[in-house]
Amino acid sequence: MTKAAAAKKAAPQKPRRIASLDKKKSRAGWLFVLPFVIGFLVIYLPIIIDSIKYSFVELRTLSGGTGYRTIFVGLQNYQEALGGDPHFVRILISGIRQLIFDIPAIVIFSLFMAVLLNKKMFGRAAFRAIFFIPVILSTGLIAGIDASNAVNEYMESGGGIDTGAGTANQIVSMADFSWLFRNMQVGTELLTYVTNIANNIYGIINRSGVQMLIFLAGLQSISPAIYESCSIDGATGWETFWKITFPMISPMILVNTIYTVIDSFTSESNSVMAYIDQVYSSGTGNVVATAMSWIYFIIVIAITALLAALISAYVFYQKRD
Amino acid sequence: MNAQTTENSPKIKRETKNKIRVEFERTSLLTRLRLRFLTGNALGKALWWIFRFILLLGISYVILMPFYSKIASSFMSREDFVDVTVKLIPKYPTLDTYKAIIEENNYFQALLNTTLLSLLCAVLQTFVCSLIGYGFAKYKFKASKFLFLLVILTMIIPHKTLHLSLLMKFRYFDIGVGKWGLFNLLGGGMIESFRVLNFTSINLINSYWPLVILSVTGLGFKNGLYIFMMRQFFRGVPDELEESAYIDGYGPFRTFFKIIIPISIPMMITVFLFAFSWQWTDNFYTSVFFNQQGPKLLPDIIKIPKSLDTSYAGKTLYEAAIRNTCGLMIITPLIVVYLFCQKFLVQGIERSGIVG
Repeated sequence: MTKAAAAKKAAPQKPRRIASLDKKKSRAGWLFVLPFVIGFLVIYLPIIIDSIKYSFVELRTLSGGTGYRTIFVGLQNYQEALGGDPHFVRILISGIRQLIFDIPAIVIFSLFMAVLLNKKMFGRAAFRAIFFIPVILSTGLIAGIDASNAVNEYMESGGGIDTGAGTANQIVSMADFSWLFRNMQVGTELLTYVTNIANNIYGIINRSGVQMLIFLAGLQSISPAIYESCSIDGATGWETFWKITFPMISPMILVNTIYTVIDSFTSESNSVMAYIDQVYSSGTGNVVATAMSWIYFIIVIAITALLAALISAYVFYQKRD
Repeated sequence: MNAQTTENSPKIKRETKNKIRVEFERTSLLTRLRLRFLTGNALGKALWWIFRFILLLGISYVILMPFYSKIASSFMSREDFVDVTVKLIPKYPTLDTYKAIIEENNYFQALLNTTLLSLLCAVLQTFVCSLIGYGFAKYKFKASKFLFLLVILTMIIPHKTLHLSLLMKFRYFDIGVGKWGLFNLLGGGMIESFRVLNFTSINLINSYWPLVILSVTGLGFKNGLYIFMMRQFFRGVPDELEESAYIDGYGPFRTFFKIIIPISIPMMITVFLFAFSWQWTDNFYTSVFFNQQGPKLLPDIIKIPKSLDTSYAGKTLYEAAIRNTCGLMIITPLIVVYLFCQKFLVQGIERSGIVG
């Protein structure tokens, strides 16, 4: 009798145990990400809501600094940003165009460098150490100092290589290139693009450190067995790159493109960001600056989504089991 | 078998009863060298090697040259900037710039404050981000995908957008949204007669608290990237490790601290290095959360010391050189850290296998 009752009790308990393990695991998962959830709800969400709110108001600090008062003004800040401000739209358009030109340059350069640094060669460790210096050292403050650096310009005057000091010294002048391409029927737009990249090589190197690291990690994860079978089949290095390395690394290209977009439009050296900062610090302009940065944010989100959709259509994922 | 093959085939001699000796006829040294080096393949390889080496050397030059010119100009005296013949190597080397910055700009005090702040933030961020990353990598729960999207969102929204609201949040710090904050309710901001506290908000500006709070909740500078990196790393850790720990009676947290953390040290050092150095050179958060009255931090030392103020001929150049020297003094400690941690950087990223 008691035994049967115990069996009866135990029988429905068994499936519940399994479910409770799942529940336990999901509870543990929640506990692990709890800091972020709390932070997001308590700090970040109010900040974002405030920020959106500020872009619709006029802000007045109460006398004595005990608090602040907001007056709802509707879309006035956005109108001010887009229509009232003489420079914003122009800087926005040129900044976004610059962004679109820079992305392929950075991604291609970092992929090329990662492929080079992945091969076993003389002095690889030293080169790697040098190439990752900008990731650590040329950020924030130092980038701010470098942005207008008379010394680098002076040291290099006559030498002719870009050291982040502006466009005073050019490695490649437009004249050289147009001479080279005169008979090749290449449009001047492309010419300007190529010369700009060559002259801006310091900026591009500085901004492709993290991407290089991500590409290197991706290259390391490709199985050497595939390369081996390729070389047995008699593929050349060129073929191996386009048929094996490139498809295998394509998920990284997606990741890096998105990272580059995010990184370059949030960086200090970005002209739009610099302008927003300038507006922010000029007297009562801070609410207008908030409105400006939301406009900018929406545009860049659109660009990111477009690029992600475009690239992910061509990304090759190796089947995993 | 014709005669040719027998001639080239190895000769077998019987030395003793149980021992034989095989003699190969070796190709002559000259032939071997010729076959090895005088082919198109070898030539192409050598050319490629040279091209690659020069390319890498050139790019290294582009990276290192600004550092060299900063170092050189930091030792130059006023006279050197007027003299046109002086470039790259100072003619009248001096330590005045360094002395003035150390004495007049309170270098060591700023260094101490920033070291404390960066260490605090970096340790907290590394720990919290690995915790969160582990949660995302190893546990499936309902909202995990949505939450991870939110992490990406925090990475995408530029912090400039939140400049004003960050400042307001921590200037009038309160837990909650707008009027419905905890301190506002308790302090009588909502109902006059109900007053437990004698303040309605806390001013956290000019303290380390804003950055500590942001670090603890995984919202600090580029923390989304760290969470992403840690998540990818933990995804590569085999589940069997944890399963065997569970069988031995460990709970999820004990497993994390005893099993997972020890094997993820290289990755954590990588994240620590990023967090430390990006916090070190950060000038956004420090400019939002600290003003003139606050503790001196490294961004504050970038100014021209009074004793070096000059209306000399090479003024712009000289002042730029002083600012560069400030920058150099800011990153010197970082260079030391980088040299020690640099090998973990590549290792950690490699092991993370940030794939898809």
